[in-house]
Amino acid sequence: MRAYKPKDNVQAKAYYTDRFYVAPQVPKTAVEEDAVFAADLAAIKAKFAVKEAYIQVEQMVIYINACDIYGVLELMRDELAYTQLSEMSAIDWLAKDNSFEIFYQMLSMTKRKRIRVKYFIQKGEAVDSVEKLFRSADWSEREMFDMFGIEANNHPFMKRILMPYDWEGYPLLKSYPLEGDEFAAWYEVDKIYGKEARDIIGPELRDTARVDSYDSERFARLGHEVPKGTKITGDEPAVSQSYQEEDGVFLIKKLDKESSVIIDDPQR
Amino acid sequence: MAQVKNRLTPFFENITFERDDNELVLNFGPQHPSAHGQLRLMLHLQQEQIVKAHPDIGYLHRGMEKMAENMIYNEFMPTTDRMDYIASSSNNYGFALAVEKLIGLEVPRRAKVIRMLLLEINRLMSHLFWLATTALDIGAMTVFLFAFREREYLMDIIEGYCGARLTHAAIRIGGVPLDLQDGFLHQLRVFLNKLPQNIKDYEDLLDSNRIWLMRMEEVGVISTEMALSWGCTGPMLRASGVAWDIRKEEPYELYDEVEFNVPYSDKGDNYARYRIYMEEMRESAKILYQCIEMYEKCEKDGQTELMAHAPKYISAPKIDIMTQNYSLMQHFVLVTQGMRPPVGEVYVPTESPKGELGFYINSQGDPYPYRLKLRAPSFWHTGILTDLLPGHYIPDVVSIIGTTNIVFGEVDR
Amino acid sequence: MAQHKVNYTQDGGLPVALTSIDKIVNWGRSNSLWALTYGLACCGIEMMASGASRFDFDRFGTIFRASPRQADVMIVAGTLTKKHAEFIKRLYDQMTEPRWVISMGSCANTGGMFNTYATVQGCDRIIPVDLYLPGCAPRPETLQYGVMLLQKKIRANKAGNAQKAKRLM
Repeated sequence: MRAYKPKDNVQAKAYYTDRFYVAPQVPKTAVEEDAVFAADLAAIKAKFAVKEAYIQVEQMVIYINACDIYGVLELMRDELAYTQLSEMSAIDWLAKDNSFEIFYQMLSMTKRKRIRVKYFIQKGEAVDSVEKLFRSADWSEREMFDMFGIEANNHPFMKRILMPYDWEGYPLLKSYPLEGDEFAAWYEVDKIYGKEARDIIGPELRDTARVDSYDSERFARLGHEVPKGTKITGDEPAVSQSYQEEDGVFLIKKLDKESSVIIDDPQR
Repeated sequence: MAQVKNRLTPFFENITFERDDNELVLNFGPQHPSAHGQLRLMLHLQQEQIVKAHPDIGYLHRGMEKMAENMIYNEFMPTTDRMDYIASSSNNYGFALAVEKLIGLEVPRRAKVIRMLLLEINRLMSHLFWLATTALDIGAMTVFLFAFREREYLMDIIEGYCGARLTHAAIRIGGVPLDLQDGFLHQLRVFLNKLPQNIKDYEDLLDSNRIWLMRMEEVGVISTEMALSWGCTGPMLRASGVAWDIRKEEPYELYDEVEFNVPYSDKGDNYARYRIYMEEMRESAKILYQCIEMYEKCEKDGQTELMAHAPKYISAPKIDIMTQNYSLMQHFVLVTQGMRPPVGEVYVPTESPKGELGFYINSQGDPYPYRLKLRAPSFWHTGILTDLLPGHYIPDVVSIIGTTNIVFGEVDR
Repeated sequence: MAQHKVNYTQDGGLPVALTSIDKIVNWGRSNSLWALTYGLACCGIEMMASGASRFDFDRFGTIFRASPRQADVMIVAGTLTKKHAEFIKRLYDQMTEPRWVISMGSCANTGGMFNTYATVQGCDRIIPVDLYLPGCAPRPETLQYGVMLLQKKIRANKAGNAQKAKRLM
């Protein structure tokens, strides 16, 4: 019987974890310790609900409600001088509680501070596009849609960006295997040659540790190669490495009338 | 041989080229010599003027973020090389720094100096390559040959250090694997002493070249608001009037100990970007001179450590692994199972030659990152073409793509 | 009308050289291998370096052409992704015969280190390949050696015969 493998997370996992191993935490500190962050947080809290806020590795992380994201980012951009959206994407928590975590990485160049705004959405929910605030979100949201299947409301062009338009599946989901599914395996063959060519071209060779005995035998016989399929006896003649200088263009520079032959029959 | 059969439908089946409104659709790429990789642009033209541009990317999407989720941290290091493959070490460094921040490691000083040397050499290589290709696209073959000549010197120095020309993998989490080889500093000094003259040669060829100026000046103007809104960083942002350099503003490594200027311009056009690349090369040379001094001081002070000491995360030095049982066991576990960083997340920006290269890592205490997001600057520098190209003419496309300095390993990841 | 004073059959030979068609055609073909600028990824940078000042490909008669219609050899330099796969086929079909393909680097050979959903596991799944260059990325010297091997291969062929189909498709 095959061992059961969970389908909701097919990524690589540690094959051994100590029973008593407790993973340490990256230290979190209270927001009050940093005056700039505390002021920013107070400004955001005045208008929006903030579920949680802390500082981790010199950056403030705040959790908000999904519906507030446009307002929070607008406030941060216009009043708190967080003028750049460096990065945004999602984290797949479907296996844990059927949700996605969305994060927005904000940068203030005048304060030299970075804030990460985060919220959770359930599977199937869409996020509000912030493309009107930050043009960079145009492509980020498309990438998020491409990789996770999370759509953004009010986005001008919600299409795949990295994968082809006719691609099936969302590659960065934890349920999507690294080496792709059946569709991915035959994508280029189906598209270019059609399904009936699958037998001729054959499946992809994905085993990185695969060693062909034929190949390995031939590696030991460099300079004594034989055509593919012939039996290797061990006493193959050396294949000479000839270059143009040695075995180049055959030219007759001095014509010797005596030894020349006149060809009468062109079909000879 | 007859034409090999395939099932591909004609490529432009669904696109009407000549339309009633006199608009023409031009396809540019994905195989185009001046697209700097696999960029595909769909350009809507009114005569020669672009009215709508639609960059199509993803032709080099290799699934690096997915790979990261399936690899232990040290395994992922060589993959980062293939992102911005013109300056590999800066990617290595960005990833190493992110993991170090995550686990809270302090790197020995000598390793820091070596890292800075590598980073700045990579910056020079990248900028020289940028100059070569952009000049080639615009038609200045001589500059291409000159700049590649200088780049090969640097390649040789780097190759002496790590054994590879292009994909270095020269930086490890926790330090650097090797000390500088004999002659590294001498070769570098010889190169740096020649560099000002070399840069002057390029400038003599380009600065007052009429063709160069016509293709560069007042072409591709990016306003400050546009640059900020599109998430531009690095030279793209500095050419648009924001003097933001992460090395200066949020210093990492020893960048707060070295003296250098951040060149910026408020013009925002191609020519401003060109000037900034040239000035940055000079600044890099300045930093490298200071790094050489710092390295020599390290040598004098007898600081020989190259890797941080953290037995939970980093293997011991080879000499210990070979002689001490516990170090060997530790090494075995770290290689087979991988290090387990603490639970938490981190976003670490670094100033790569192209701009802000950030690594977002979400760790759940496993040997594999739960989520790793690569914030590559070129992604947004490609996106800005959507708004930047309309209004320009066809020949400007090439020079604008050239000065954005995009690398598709990084755009598509 | 001037009379010829030189007796070519005796003094220095005729001002003509004779050879077989095969040899002369192959000589021409192998010494002017025009390559398609097909830099897909990292290997493309090394391909450029081969063409640039230090390694100087021009002395092999290898000149990079931007159009597949002017190219004899396609150097697949870099990772071939599934999204790009159809274009390599289109470009290959556009090249005039005789045509050759060099697969440069591990990614083009087998998918290399990118054992992922988005990467074609070897460009020989799409087009026939004549020469595989190992390395990630191969050095310019490797590419030069590869081109010399390809020249050798061309010289060994019969020029008059049509190229045999390299794969069933």
